[in-house]
Amino acid sequence: MVLGGLEKLGRLVLYSLEEAGKIMMLFLSAVAWAVRPPWRFHLIIKQMEFVGVKSIFVVVLTGTFTGMVMTLQLFHGFRLFSAESLVGSTVALAMTRELGPVLSSLMVTARAGSAMAAELGTMRVTEQIDALYVMATNPVKYLIVPRVIASIIMMPILTVVADFVGVVGSYFVGVSILGINAGTFMKNINKLVVLDDIFNGLIKAAVFGLILSLIGCYKGFNTRGGAEGVGRATTEAVVLASITILVSDYFLTALMF
Amino acid sequence: MIKLIGLNKSFGKQKVLDNLNLEIESNKTTVIIGRSGGGKSVLLKHIIGLIKPDSGSVLVDGEDIARMNDRELNDIRRKFGMLFQEAALFDSMDVGENVAFPLKEHSKMTKEEIRKTVAERLAAVGLAGVESKMSSELSGGMRKRVGLARAIALLPEIVLFDEPTSGLDPVMAEAINQLIKETQRNFNLTCVVISHDIESIFKIGDRIAMLYEGKIIEAGTPAEIRATTNPVLRQFLTGSIEGPIKII
Amino acid sequence: MFSLSSEAKVGLFVLVALIILGYMSFQVGQHGFSFKRGYLVETVFDNATGLDKDASVQIAGVEVGRVESISLKNGKALVVLRIKPDIQLEKDVSAAIRTHGILGDKYVEITPGTIKTAFIPDGGAIEQVNRPADIDRMLSQFALITEDIRAVTSSLRNVLGGEAGESSIREILTNMRELTRSINTVVARNDDKIADVVENLKSASKEMEGTFIALNQVAQGLKKGEGTLGQLLRDKETGEKLSKTISSLQDVTEKISTGKGTFGKLVNDEETAKNLSDSLAGINRYVNKAEQYRTYLSYHGEYLFDTSNAKSYLDVRIQPNPDKFYLLGVVTDPRGRRTLRDYTTGGVTTRVEEYDKSGFLFNAQIGKRFKDIAIRGGIMESTGGVGLEYFAFNDKLRLSFDAFDFSSDRRAHLKGMAEFQIFKYIYLSGGWDDFISNQGNSSPFAGISIRFEDDDLKYLMTTTPIPK
Repeated sequence: MVLGGLEKLGRLVLYSLEEAGKIMMLFLSAVAWAVRPPWRFHLIIKQMEFVGVKSIFVVVLTGTFTGMVMTLQLFHGFRLFSAESLVGSTVALAMTRELGPVLSSLMVTARAGSAMAAELGTMRVTEQIDALYVMATNPVKYLIVPRVIASIIMMPILTVVADFVGVVGSYFVGVSILGINAGTFMKNINKLVVLDDIFNGLIKAAVFGLILSLIGCYKGFNTRGGAEGVGRATTEAVVLASITILVSDYFLTALMF
Repeated sequence: MIKLIGLNKSFGKQKVLDNLNLEIESNKTTVIIGRSGGGKSVLLKHIIGLIKPDSGSVLVDGEDIARMNDRELNDIRRKFGMLFQEAALFDSMDVGENVAFPLKEHSKMTKEEIRKTVAERLAAVGLAGVESKMSSELSGGMRKRVGLARAIALLPEIVLFDEPTSGLDPVMAEAINQLIKETQRNFNLTCVVISHDIESIFKIGDRIAMLYEGKIIEAGTPAEIRATTNPVLRQFLTGSIEGPIKII
Repeated sequence: MFSLSSEAKVGLFVLVALIILGYMSFQVGQHGFSFKRGYLVETVFDNATGLDKDASVQIAGVEVGRVESISLKNGKALVVLRIKPDIQLEKDVSAAIRTHGILGDKYVEITPGTIKTAFIPDGGAIEQVNRPADIDRMLSQFALITEDIRAVTSSLRNVLGGEAGESSIREILTNMRELTRSINTVVARNDDKIADVVENLKSASKEMEGTFIALNQVAQGLKKGEGTLGQLLRDKETGEKLSKTISSLQDVTEKISTGKGTFGKLVNDEETAKNLSDSLAGINRYVNKAEQYRTYLSYHGEYLFDTSNAKSYLDVRIQPNPDKFYLLGVVTDPRGRRTLRDYTTGGVTTRVEEYDKSGFLFNAQIGKRFKDIAIRGGIMESTGGVGLEYFAFNDKLRLSFDAFDFSSDRRAHLKGMAEFQIFKYIYLSGGWDDFISNQGNSSPFAGISIRFEDDDLKYLMTTTPIPK
């Protein structure tokens, strides 16, 4: 019994290490292929459209409502200290430092990371990836590099939008509905949020973009077992990417702030 | 000229290729037959370097592709074309783009030249004018023909076929067989076909090899194969359930 | 069909995001010198707890810089401030670490100096540092004070406790008694002196009069232009008058300060001060009472579905304190007021029910509230009745149940309703009126109320005595 449990634990650790190592290898090979010409800008643009432009709606929706609901909740708490005027800056700090990058990354993981896993997984099980190899086109360069680059570029840009609409949503609820003074609302944002908050958030977002695309591609690229395998790969990609984003967020925060 | 020498390959505890030796002659069609799941596809993927052997060599024009790195493999693969079992057309592209893909990647042709070449290749497989269809709109037979058009787009020396007639009705299977024969003759290709469709193999094969339990147990011309005394091959050709082949 | 290429969409999106980013970066952290402008000034604090890098540096609440760095130097905190280039600090400014509010951020407060000619150069130091009056310090002082108090109480205990203490207290008390006695005798002996004081007071006022006359003369002389100030001073008569004036003024002030004269008494008398503070307390009480008083005006209209009638209520609710209220009001009921009259004709008495349709019905109730439950009783719609109310969700929801019009010939009028506040002054209600009626009056109803607190009425009511 005890040995069985230990064995399971050991296997889990080994499996996780192996996965992490493989993802790292894929990352290194992606970097190697990314710096080697020819560069396929049209593929990157296409992925940027998919990862970025098509995620605008969901990111705006998430950002706005996060800002709004946070304002609503914070308002009641802060009112106990007569600190309503700090609601805006608190929301703005939370959005720029944490929620903007993390929530939009999670949304993009769910939307685009899963799609990457599914698309590459399907290509794997229908031998399209083998076909690329056979046609002397490296699939890492052709499929993974554009996705990773596009995600790294688009995540910070989506985060900028999420931060902005979050604060706009907060302003709307705080000033228009809850009646916080508009001047102090903005003044406290001005006073307490600094440029570094925004930029550190954007750096985080870029790292999250790398994580979600790399894991999505890795899971898709190594799919086994037909349609079921594709489904499994998609689920695993979303779960693993989300967990990795949340965990790495902690370490990034510890490093930055 | 492709030479497979002493190939060994295991997946976990299962030995798929067991000290396998085979010579594939240039400009001829070699058919490799064997049981379903008996390692034929694995063998084919060894020839093109998609899978590397645990030991042994794969010599293509004297170069051992089992020892090559990614870059060298990329170069040698330009000699190859391959038709996959389900054709492996790119879903995200239309037929024209699929066939044009290797041309765009590896030739310095202008757009116009590419367009013309794509039309030629499609015409060669009897599908002139379907460039703008998406691959999902095609029937199984059409997909295989588009796959063939793509495989021969760069006029490779060697074309590999992974079960070209599986999943097709007899008429379409016959049409594909004809197409393989014609293409081989027209472009003077070295073709390697894996199949377990007995009807087809004698029609297209210049040489036939039987893969059984990780080894090539018999290789020869169709006439030699027909006259074989090997009980395994006999049982396989007649499709009898009685004989040395174990049915699990 | 107008459509954008992938490139165009991506480009547009990136452009929009960059514009937003640019806008945001101008909205945050724009303090003018986040780009390392300004000069550095050093200052050393004993303790820089809670002070962060980039904390604000302020003069009179206006930000003039930021904390550049905090490091340790000889066991003290060396804080380097970056001051805006257009701000000059005098050599004798002092710095202190302060807190915004109780829980707020720490910042460095600089108190301006007085030397307006010498300023601290770049890299200079602020010499004067004030100890921060922060919570830590306050708490430590509290601790010291408590220590003192404990010391005092313990020595007191030593003095009072035991026989020695008791005897010394007795001694003190005896001394006290003796002291009062001698004071008494002093006062008795000086009885006629007190009469003198009154006399003095009279003469003092007379002297004042004389002084004013003299002053008047001087002023008139000045007005007439009789000589310059020099002449005035050289003039013997004037000089004498002036010195006389001053001496009598001195007299007056002396008398006032020793408690002589009416004015002096007013200033020095404790009784007066007590009276004054009493009257202030009285005013306070009055105001407090008025503050507690709440008066609500309400109009409530309801529509009875089954009887197709509308009823209107106009109420004044007076609440002298939170758990007690009075309700006065009028009700219009289209059914009118029911009266019973006995007619006796020919020895036969017939009881006739009459409805006075023009009349109002009246409410006059007294109520008491226990937390979320209130009971009412008194006159309801011109009959006797009682009611029960239940409040929930910060009084936004009110459930009430009334029973009134108890008469022998028919069932009591019962009414249940729920009322919910939808806006500040607007309430929606619904319920069932007269639901056990055997007169066919039972009906569900829906209603709307307007209720607001009236401040003017409140003060009117507080002046009217109301039995408590």
